[in-house]
Amino acid sequence: MNTNPSENVVSLTINGKSIVAPDSLSVIQALWHAGYPRVKGVGCLEGVCGSCRVMVRRADSDELRMELGCQLLIEEGMDVFFSVFDTPSHHFYQLSKISTSWDVQTEFHHIFPEAEKCRHCHGCNKACPKDIDVETGVDLAVKGRFRESGELFVECVMCNLCMTGCPEFIDPNHVGLFARRVTGYFHTRPSNLINQLEAIRTGEMDVDIDDEGQKV
Amino acid sequence: MTSNISASGLSYEQALGNYHLQGEFPAHDLDIDKDDLLKQFHPDHRSETITTLQVGPNKGARCHAQLAQILQADSRIDAADLAGARIKETDVLVIGGGGAGCAAALTAVEAGAKVILATKLRLGDSNTIMAEGGIQASIEKEDSLQAHYLDTWKAGHKTGEKALIKQLVMEGPETIRWLIQQGMQFDLNQFGDLLTRKAGGTSGNRVVYFRDYTGLEMMRVLREAVQNSDVEVWDYSPAVELLSNESGHCAGAIVSSLEESRYVQIKASSVIIATGGIGRLHLNDFPTSNHFGATGDGLVLAYRLGARLRDLDSFQYHPTGVAYPQHLSGTLITEGLRSSGAYIINAQGKRFVNELQPRDVVAAAIIRECREGRGVQGDNGMQGVWLDTAGLEARNPGILQQRFPKLVQLGLKSNIDIKKIPMLIYPTLHYQNGGVVIDKNGLSSVSGLYCVGEVSGGIHGKNRLMGNALLEIISFGRKAGATAVKERQSRGHKQICIDHISNLRRELMQNNMPMKCKAPVLFPNYTKYDVSDEDDPHHSRIFDL
Repeated sequence: MNTNPSENVVSLTINGKSIVAPDSLSVIQALWHAGYPRVKGVGCLEGVCGSCRVMVRRADSDELRMELGCQLLIEEGMDVFFSVFDTPSHHFYQLSKISTSWDVQTEFHHIFPEAEKCRHCHGCNKACPKDIDVETGVDLAVKGRFRESGELFVECVMCNLCMTGCPEFIDPNHVGLFARRVTGYFHTRPSNLINQLEAIRTGEMDVDIDDEGQKV
Repeated sequence: MTSNISASGLSYEQALGNYHLQGEFPAHDLDIDKDDLLKQFHPDHRSETITTLQVGPNKGARCHAQLAQILQADSRIDAADLAGARIKETDVLVIGGGGAGCAAALTAVEAGAKVILATKLRLGDSNTIMAEGGIQASIEKEDSLQAHYLDTWKAGHKTGEKALIKQLVMEGPETIRWLIQQGMQFDLNQFGDLLTRKAGGTSGNRVVYFRDYTGLEMMRVLREAVQNSDVEVWDYSPAVELLSNESGHCAGAIVSSLEESRYVQIKASSVIIATGGIGRLHLNDFPTSNHFGATGDGLVLAYRLGARLRDLDSFQYHPTGVAYPQHLSGTLITEGLRSSGAYIINAQGKRFVNELQPRDVVAAAIIRECREGRGVQGDNGMQGVWLDTAGLEARNPGILQQRFPKLVQLGLKSNIDIKKIPMLIYPTLHYQNGGVVIDKNGLSSVSGLYCVGEVSGGIHGKNRLMGNALLEIISFGRKAGATAVKERQSRGHKQICIDHISNLRRELMQNNMPMKCKAPVLFPNYTKYDVSDEDDPHHSRIFDL
């Protein structure tokens, strides 16, 4: 945690504590820099695990935004709150229980009955720190266009912030992940993989551990 | 982190001036003596950082000094701690919630076992989720399992365990199939075949991938699968000690519930450790690409119970970690860029190494450039060289957005347009090559104790190929899960004990070792998380700020 003396130092509040730190630091680094212990809500530190959800209000705006604390550089006058809370999904399903791909649409509405009740309030879109068009994704899944829906959720880190923004308890990120999973489960059948599995099964393809190769 | 570098190099602006966007051009100085380069510049070869273990099953073995410190540290547990601890019983206890832990837990629960998965942070918080480049599986006609086997063995400097490597590569295609059946997607061509690419040190196209989000895609799918299964998940519950029975069989673990600020004993017929690596100990003061929780806990737990370890002096420094901007220092930039043809360029604007050499060679070459004054000096005190993202984009318009959206995002967040200027990079501590000695089922030398994933050793020898870690965690995770279940029939819950702690303390005292340090350390020291807080009833308030 080296800091460079030539850097600008800024003041901000994090969870109500006044903190002074160089502006090259992220919110999490600034907390550590100021001597506050923090391990909950800290994860990969590169924006893919969705652990460090924060609400932030900047000095020049009243708008409350959702961000990831490891990705957010601190600024003068910022007000930051960690939103550490459990958000378990209330939707349960097992792919192996869906017998054929013809049944996916019916099963989807059994598993996620709230999805078709979307009010188009944009709560999920506003909450998403990755700027995913969550609402359209839910809409596509409701229409049965799972592959297309899933494509919108490529960057989703399952931070669950959209769940908190949804008044209908749709669990939009889990809808997106369902859409992705059924697409893989039912439609990924690569011939290069399947041929190799067959070659291994028949013993045509094997490994000789004593063959150390010609070139050394 | 500047201690890694001596010569001062060129300033960021000067070096950017020397950098010119151009088409393909050859590297100079490609005929390097690899062994010599490694000896001179690879951090593993700094003799002052290596020590000899004084206690435990590997007494007398070479070991990195920082690792030795935690392997020979005191336990955090006393017999008195056990007296008040709640007791919970299960068939299989999985410690760690990354890819290996999830694969093991899913397999065990499918076989009908009662499974608890305890993890330090949350389910899925792991290095798996950060893996970018892909997973190796030999599936192309032009490739073969034998080639995968030989590439892996040779990259590990011929020190890997042959039987383990054979199993790894034989399981490759089946592992991909299993992942697809969990609902994982991969990048496919127009006909639905899996796309494959090369990695540094591979002889053929063998890495399958999903953009530069392979690990994220894998982890979110596995986490969803576990959460929709009968596996009981305990978040914020790091294991602090293992339990054994009177015959030395591993019989469970003591976990520290961070939310309740108390210890819980979990009795189990078998234990699977899947705690990952050690990057957050920042060996040799290097930045790391590792997850916040990677503090080598599993190695400490297993070693104390008598499990043999190996290759404790061998670590992988990934050549392309972010050197600038500082708040992302150490963050991994996928090897997929080099596989796709990105060059590495020094401050003089020259290539200095074949970018697709194995990771240890490329990392050593970058350290050489910086130490010999051909590095770029970032204004944060970090040195590095260029990873020529802009050149790659110029030769293959659109490739960055299409294949590497995560990196483009990372650049945008830091106000760097990686399509126009190169990124400043420096090797980052990435992987623990060695670990707990295991057999083909992931069983350690202690009965009832399985170790899978990065915590184990032997597959990668002294250097790992890209894509073999994701393959290892799933294939060995599943093996261990399936095998651990079988112990359920053979053993009930007998008398459990922590005699190994008394033995450890006796040994430490006999060898005049300091008893001040306690392990596992659980969190890196810069989090200001204090071990003694665990005794404080208001501790949870402290850690929640």
